[in-house]
Amino acid sequence: MISLTSPVETWAHDVPAGVKLAALSAATVGLFALQNPIWLGVALVCAGAIVLSGGLRFARAAARSLRILIPFLALIAVWHGVTGQIEAGLVVALRLLTALTLANFVTMTTRLTDMVAVAAFLLSPLRRFGLSTRAFELSIALVVRFTPAIAQKGGLLAEAWRARAARRVGWQIVMPLAAIALDDADHVADALRARGGLDQTP
Amino acid sequence: MLEDVSVRLGDVDVLSAISLRMQERRVGIVGRNGSGKTTLARIIAGLQAPTRGSARIDGDDMARDRKSALRAVGILFQNPDHQIIFPTVDEEIAFGLMQLGHDRDAAARETSAILSRFGKSGWHGAATHSLSQGQKQLVCLMAVLAMRPRLIVLDEPYSGLDIPTRMQLVRYVDAVEASVVQITHDPDHVRAFDRVIWLDEGSVRMDGPTDEVLAAFEAQMTAWGQDDDLSDLAG
Ligand SMILES: Nc1ncnc2c1ncn2[C@@H]1O[C@H](COP(=O)(O)OP(=O)(O)O)[C@@H](O)[C@H]1O
Ligand SMILES: [Mg+2]
Repeated sequence: MISLTSPVETWAHDVPAGVKLAALSAATVGLFALQNPIWLGVALVCAGAIVLSGGLRFARAAARSLRILIPFLALIAVWHGVTGQIEAGLVVALRLLTALTLANFVTMTTRLTDMVAVAAFLLSPLRRFGLSTRAFELSIALVVRFTPAIAQKGGLLAEAWRARAARRVGWQIVMPLAAIALDDADHVADALRARGGLDQTP
Repeated sequence: MLEDVSVRLGDVDVLSAISLRMQERRVGIVGRNGSGKTTLARIIAGLQAPTRGSARIDGDDMARDRKSALRAVGILFQNPDHQIIFPTVDEEIAFGLMQLGHDRDAAARETSAILSRFGKSGWHGAATHSLSQGQKQLVCLMAVLAMRPRLIVLDEPYSGLDIPTRMQLVRYVDAVEASVVQITHDPDHVRAFDRVIWLDEGSVRMDGPTDEVLAAFEAQMTAWGQDDDLSDLAG
């Protein structure tokens, strides 16, 4: 559920990342304290209203990235239906949905750089022990940058396969894809080196 | 600037004993595919240490002294996908600035400044992987220019771009204040440059005023075009 920062600007884009993350933590703790499905329902409606405040287009994008939760929610419903604990099931499902709606809202309205800056701040005590948080910051950015890129290259390889084969795309493209990923890693290393590598001039 | 540079990769001599001193504002490097142009670009930018010799800018060794190299030279890779490290345009541009020691706020300010200088303020926060090839190339150029190096190395910046995109990018490159070393296999791209160096099989085949070098280069390319050297395997 890494929905990238939404290009649709909302009011929440201007709220500092630290404030949003703190509010999100508080809200999540609060959700776990609530046991009553009615109050959890109210919480979900509130979360929905917050998302809608970003506009219809924004809300639709948010709903789309939450869609992958449907199978989990269905599983919870079936399980609790079978065991007869309808209310407990409702509580779990509502809590999960509300918490993730809020988390998704924060991801969509916070630039990655700001998110990472907060994480780096929280990790800053580690620096006293000589651990670099910078490598950590960079690796998050790299994951977000290269996950779609590698997925896309897999797609291109599959296409090159289909252009010349009637059979379904086979496991044979795994090796070339791995080679491409390694090659990409080489290039990133170069790109990093071209701009000063991991060590930052103070 | 380059002193007796040789590069050996595996058991191939990719560059052999190249010595060059460049002071011109615009220098073109031409040569066929595989002549060693990209390797030379990497040497100039200090991304790779030569097997022998050294690449220096104003006395600093580019491969050894990376700190000075950052302020001296910026490089635009042949393929922008190999250059872009970050998921968004802002982060890509701000990274280099923070590497130079700017804090987050200063880097953000400079990033906005360069985006608006290029009339691209609308690109704030845009995802890099969804940009077109020409747009990616421009992001890379802005990211390099933001660091204000004295020299910029461009490795075939216009290959794969359509004519209007190329013309627009050329305008941006022409306006660059820093010195430019541009690598290309297309003589038209460096027609207006001050000096052209022709690289052939890892050596300097010719070096001098643009008109003379390009005339000889084009004559030779046409002659080779009529041969069949595609059948020759390297090594
Ligand atoms: N890592 C490597 N190992 C061995 N040979 C290489 C390596 N990289 C490049 N070469 C060879 O060096 C020669 C010059 O490459 P390059 O500098 O990329 O040329 P150009 O950019 O002019 O096309 C080519 O023949 C290429 O095959
Ligand atoms: Mg090349």
